[in-house]
Order: sequence, then C-alpha cells, then structure tokens
Amino acid sequence: MNQDNLSRINSYLSFKLGDEEFAAHVGKVLNILEMTKITEVPKAPVYMKGVINLRGTVLPVIDTRIKFGMTPTEYTTNTCIIVLDIDVDGENIQVGALVDAVQAVLEIEKGQIMPPPSIGSKYKSEFIEGVANIDEKFIMILDMDAVFSTEDVTDLLTKTEETENTTEIEEIS
Amino acid sequence: MDNFKKKFVEEAVDLIDGLEKSLLELEENPEDEAIVQKVFRVMHTLKGNSGMFGFEMIDSFTHEMETVYDLIRNHKLSVSREILDLTLAAVDHLKILLDEENYSNPDVQANHKMLLSKVADIINADQATPEETLPLPAEHTNTDRNGDQGASYYILFEPNSSIFDNGTNPLYLLDELHSLGEAKVYAHLNRVPPLKEIDESLCYTYWEAILYTESTVNEINDVFIFVEDESNIEIQKIMDGNVLANEQFVGELDNLSSIQKDIGFNAVQRLAVGIAKSSTTTPKSTAKGKDRVIAKDASISSIRVAADKLDMLMNLVSELVTTQARLSLFAEESAVPGLVPIAENVQKLSRQLRDIAFSIVLIPIENMLTRFQRLVRDLSSELGKDVIFATEGAETELDKTIIESLVDPLMHILRNSLDHGIEEASVREKAGKPKQGKITLKAFYSGANVMIQISDDGAGIDPEMITQKAIAKGIISAERRLTKREVLELVFLPGFSTATKVTDVSGRGVGMDVVKRKIADIRGEVEIDSEKGVGTTITIKLPLTLSIIDGLLVKVDDTNFIIPLSVVDKIYAVEHEKIAKTFNNVVVLDGKQVPFFYVRREFGHPENSERYEQVIVVNFEEKSVGLVVDSVIGEYQAVLKPLGKHYKNQDMISGATILGDGTVALVMDTNKIIKLFANHEDFAIDSEEPYNKSK
Repeated sequence: MNQDNLSRINSYLSFKLGDEEFAAHVGKVLNILEMTKITEVPKAPVYMKGVINLRGTVLPVIDTRIKFGMTPTEYTTNTCIIVLDIDVDGENIQVGALVDAVQAVLEIEKGQIMPPPSIGSKYKSEFIEGVANIDEKFIMILDMDAVFSTEDVTDLLTKTEETENTTEIEEIS
Repeated sequence: MDNFKKKFVEEAVDLIDGLEKSLLELEENPEDEAIVQKVFRVMHTLKGNSGMFGFEMIDSFTHEMETVYDLIRNHKLSVSREILDLTLAAVDHLKILLDEENYSNPDVQANHKMLLSKVADIINADQATPEETLPLPAEHTNTDRNGDQGASYYILFEPNSSIFDNGTNPLYLLDELHSLGEAKVYAHLNRVPPLKEIDESLCYTYWEAILYTESTVNEINDVFIFVEDESNIEIQKIMDGNVLANEQFVGELDNLSSIQKDIGFNAVQRLAVGIAKSSTTTPKSTAKGKDRVIAKDASISSIRVAADKLDMLMNLVSELVTTQARLSLFAEESAVPGLVPIAENVQKLSRQLRDIAFSIVLIPIENMLTRFQRLVRDLSSELGKDVIFATEGAETELDKTIIESLVDPLMHILRNSLDHGIEEASVREKAGKPKQGKITLKAFYSGANVMIQISDDGAGIDPEMITQKAIAKGIISAERRLTKREVLELVFLPGFSTATKVTDVSGRGVGMDVVKRKIADIRGEVEIDSEKGVGTTITIKLPLTLSIIDGLLVKVDDTNFIIPLSVVDKIYAVEHEKIAKTFNNVVVLDGKQVPFFYVRREFGHPENSERYEQVIVVNFEEKSVGLVVDSVIGEYQAVLKPLGKHYKNQDMISGATILGDGTVALVMDTNKIIKLFANHEDFAIDSEEPYNKSK
C-alpha cells in the first residue's frame, strides 16, 4: 500500500497511558507485540528502555510514559509494545513504544477530528494532530513522527503536571 | 538496450582503471613492450565496445589514442613523459565521457577538442619524420622477417561453449583469418553431443587452422581480440615460408585430421619439418621456431557478481549463523539422542560457510592504490615537489564496503602529507635529506585487524606549534601539561588545522576530524605519530569485516554481553571482596597491576554478592584493562546488528546480536571503553603519564 492510500484510511489505533487515551494512525503501526524481555542498554536516556529482538532485527523500545512525563511503565498483563514505523529526517525507522494497554481500532472521520485546543491544553500542540470525541471521551491523536523522533528529550507536557498522573497508575496496574 | 549500456559502462570503468594502472607501470618501465601491448589492447577493446553501444565520442577518441600506441608498439614512437601525461589526461576524459549527459557540456567538448588536437600533433610529428613514411599500421616494416616472405602458423581456436551469448559468430573470425592470407581450417565436431542433448545456445565446435600470412603474430592475435577472454587460443609459428603450398603436407594433414580428433601443434610441426627436409625447398629453416608466442589459459578464474547479490548472501549467512545458534541451544536442552552431533556439524558447516562468504567480499586494497598513485603523481608535480609513492602489502584484503569508505580519508591524509609533510626540494637538501621525498603506504594484518600505515619523511609535526595553537583557540588551558601523544591527538579535533596558509590542497580546517569520524564509522581507529624534522606516520586500524565477529559471551546481572574475542587476553576468577573493596580500581593479577572496569557499577546494575567475579583482561594499544563480569558463558559467533538511530550517542556498545534463545545481547566496544576509561581523570593507566594524580 502506498502512502497515498494509507493517508486516506480513517482508522486509528487507540491506546492507554494511565487513564488517558491516545490514538495513532494505523499507517504508522506495523505490529503489536506482547511484553517480552527487554535488554537494557547502558548509558542511554531514561526513556530508552532497551532493545528487543523483532524477527531477527534489533528494535529499540521507548517507554512512552516517561517520554510523556509520567512515571515509568509498570509491567502488567496489558502492557504492550506497539511497533511503529516513523519518519526521522526522511528516513524510515522502526521503534517499539511501550504502552499500558491497547484499546481498539477506531474509525474516525476527518470531520470528527477537531484541531488541538491552543489554550488550556496539557500537551504541546505540535505533537498532537487533533482531538476526537468518541462516545463522550476525548482521544488525542498523536503525530507519531514528532513524538518518537530521535530528539534526546521530547517533553510532551507544556508544564510539569506529572503529579496529576502518578496517582492514576495504581488503578490500572 | 539500457541494460547493455550499463554493462558496457561497468566494464569500461574496469578497463579504464586497468589502463590507468598500466600507464603508471609504463612510466616506471618505458621499455616494457608487454605493458605497451596491454595498453593498446585496452584501447582497442574500449574502441570496439564503445562503437557498438553508440558512445561515438569515446569511439573516435580511443581510436586516435590507439593509433599513438600502435606507433609505439611498432617502435615508431617511444614512450615519453609527454605522451604519458596526455594519455593520463585522456583517461580522465574517458571517465567523464562515460556519462552521456556530459556530452553536451561545453567544457567537456572543449577539452575533447584540445586533447584530440594534441594527439594529432603527436601522430603527425611522427609521420613527419622522413625515414618512417608508412602511414598505415597494417603494413609494417618487416624487420623481424627475412625478406618479403611470410610465415606459416598453427592456430587453435577453442571458444567456450557460451560464446554465442555475446552474439559472437566464430565463423566470422575464421573468415577474417582467411583474409590475412592463405588458410586451411579444420573444424572439430567430436564434442557435439547426440541430437537429443544438444543445447542450441552452446558452441560445441572448435577449430584448428594452418595459416600462411605476411602479417605478424600480433595481427593474427588481433583477430581474436574480442574473444580471447572466452576462448582458448593458441598461435604458434610452424616455420618460415608457406607450408600450404606443399601438396604432400596438405594431404598428410587431411589424413591426420580424419583419424585423430585433434591434430595438435606438435604433429603439424613434425609433419612440416619432415616435409621441409624431404623437399629441401627451404633447407636453412630446420624450423627450430618453437617460439611459443602466446598460450592463453582461458579457464575462467574469476567471475563478476552483482554487489547486491553478495549483500544478500551475507545477510543469509548471518541468518544462518543466528539460526544455528538456536539449534545448538535446543540440542543441548532437549535430550534427543543424536541431535547434539548434528547441531555440532551444522555449527562447523556454518562457520566454514561464513568464512568463505567473508572471503568473497574481501578484496585486496590494491584496487584503490592506483587512484592514490595517480594523486601523488599529479599533486606532486602541481606542487613542484619530487615525491615517490611506495606501497607495501597491496595484497592485504579488506571488506569491500570498508575499502569504499576508506578512499576519501586516505586521499585526505595523502594530500596532507604531500602539501604539509614533504618539504620543497631545497629545504630538504638543507636538512640533509634526499631531494626526493617519499610517502609509504603499508598495509598488514594484525590479529583480527588490518593496519594501514601512511608515513612520509617530511617535516613532521611540531608539538610546540600545536600546543600554542590549541591554547590560542582555547581548546586547552595554558597550564595543562600534555604528553606528546595527547598533543598529537589534538589535530583530530574539529576546526583544528595547523596549516598557516590555506592552500588549494588542504588546510581548510575540515581535515583530520572528518578523517577520524569517517574511520570511526567503519569501526576503525586512527592514530598519529610524528617526529619533528623526520616525518609523520598515520596508522589506521580497521576490523577485517563489519558484520560477524567471534565473541565471548558473558553475563552481567540479567544482561548478556559479547566481548570481541580478538581483544581478550586472559580470564581470571577474582574474589568479590577484592573488587568491591579496592578504592583505586586496580587489581593485582599475575603480579601485575591491572586497572579494572566494574561493569555492574559502570552500567548501573545493582551490585551482587557472589563470592567470585570473572575478570576478563582485554588489550588495546599496549594497555590492559580488566572487565569485571558475573560469569562467562562461552564462545559465540555474533552477527552484528546496529542499535539504530535512537542509540546514536551510545559509545560503549557497538551493536547488538540475537542469541539462540531469541534474546538480545549487547556487543561491547572494548576499545572505546578502554579509551574513555583511560581518559578518566581518576585512572592513570597511560604509561607515558606520570602517576602522580590523587586517588
């Protein structure tokens, strides 16, 4: 499938980090893996969890929660690795993103997606493609290329609000 | 058709490279006729091929060049500096012409005209000389022949069965033979299989011919010039005079060919000698003329393979090695009788396969040396310096990808040596050195590495000057006392160029740091050593191959690490207390003090309380460091996989590999670890440095 066809599809994979729901365009998602043993690479940024073996190639895994300014992921039966195909400086590379739980594949029409609110939002708008209201819940649609680029620290939060999220982790795990 | 063109260009590039090399050889030995022949032959092939594929500019151009070398080969011209310069310029021009897009470029066209007129000057200058007025190469002065008589030759033409693939019709070649003089050709059909088994795309026939001609052996050879690589061709002189004129000889020959499947040169020779004796027509020539002129071994000793096929092969071998590791593990764990020997066999086979596959992608560094020879030659004359370039160990082999990425850095180093290293002739004489400067490129194996050393006998680097400059640029503080080695290391820093004036050749400050980075990209190391007034030596240390290494598998906490086996010296078991309780990070092993790198602590794993630790002593540049790990699992063939862009700042790990159980092990870059470790203020393991630091 080429890029044109992909961008015309309106499917999004939604996943949970803590209590919040996010979504990524399915064109970016290659695979969903169950949690497996991650080999830690020393002297790397905290959010770089390590590497795993993905059918013979070495796949770096990123702790999405740390990247988003939350506490580190605690492994549960629901913890998953989403294998993403992201575009970094015109080069396609694969990364694994640790998430608390994968929810569903949603059909979201272009018209349902609202632009990210410019004020009062917790997250930086350049990482958010838009917000969709599905069944009275707000789902943030992320720009995966921007979030998982190789930038050393991508601080998704506009201001530090980790404290809000920390309490919620226990409920899920 | 484009496909054919691509193939032509590929082949032409090879030919031109060979040509360049031959020319440089010719410069050394201007009298060597074999080289002149070689040059001529390449020109001829280029001419023919380019004409066939519509590269008219190359066609006409090589035609002129060929004429020049034809004159040389017939001793009407002698090799001179002027001709060589022109030919080398022509070689460069040909390279440009290979890209058809350049045809319309006015610069290229101007250059083309200029070169053509120069070539014409040389040819005309020759023809103006009075004693040599024969214009056509086809009618040479017959110096080597007695009078106006021709000679008889035996010719064996045995094309490879695949000769039709190139569209060659062997019969045309035989026709051409007939045009040279009087010929009798015997076709041998004894290799033709029964009708059912015939593959119509193959050639089963071969020919023997007796030729009487006034042409030289070279001219006969030229008939086969396009097929000589694909055929077995033998041309031998039987005797002077025309043997075919003798009916008895012809009759005997017919007889022989009908009973024997091959006639063979010896039989022909015997027959001819016998007849010559009996008929006494040519009494003086008892035809000792067994001067075997050309006997070409046509068995194909090498083939061309597309580079991507090789890459694919290497990938598959890597996969195989990984799968084999899984099999070995499975065989050990399961109690199936007989499985272990099979697994071991597979391991042995895959190891052999790996070695062979690696040797395929290894090519001798000789392939890139021609370019350097040329660079030194051109640049030294441009700079007005007299420099010779000597090479040693040109047969040393390296992975082709390494060689490709090595060319630019080496070019740069050579340019530096030529420009800043070697002094002007007058300066050299004053310093009591020979007028001619010397740059040596030496390659050799050292363990699992290949070393390439470039040394010049030039001015060397003044450590004082570098220190001054580094202080002026604020790179180091004025108080710091550096060892000589540390001072020389400074030239590898970005923006550090010691050239006081920027020349066309070097000194733009984008120098040695780029060299270092490029070499580091292929897991290599660069080192510099220099003596003021004596010369500079730059040593590049490279891994033999990039993708699979023999390693030692060790465990630290729950992580597996691979240590390249080539650097491992010895393994010791040391009590945990000795490691944990020392405060200067030095442990005594075999009576020697060895600084150690406690992997658990350095890599942020919790400390353990096992009684014994394993200390693996690794070597790098005369330094030894002990790596402290939990346990040693064993030897392991590691297929190196990159960690990816997200770990680009990772220094101590050079890659990862997948183990038999599917988990990932990290490959330690011990050289980097030692280097980082050695630069650490706390540890003074550099022997040059006085051990006076606190702690």
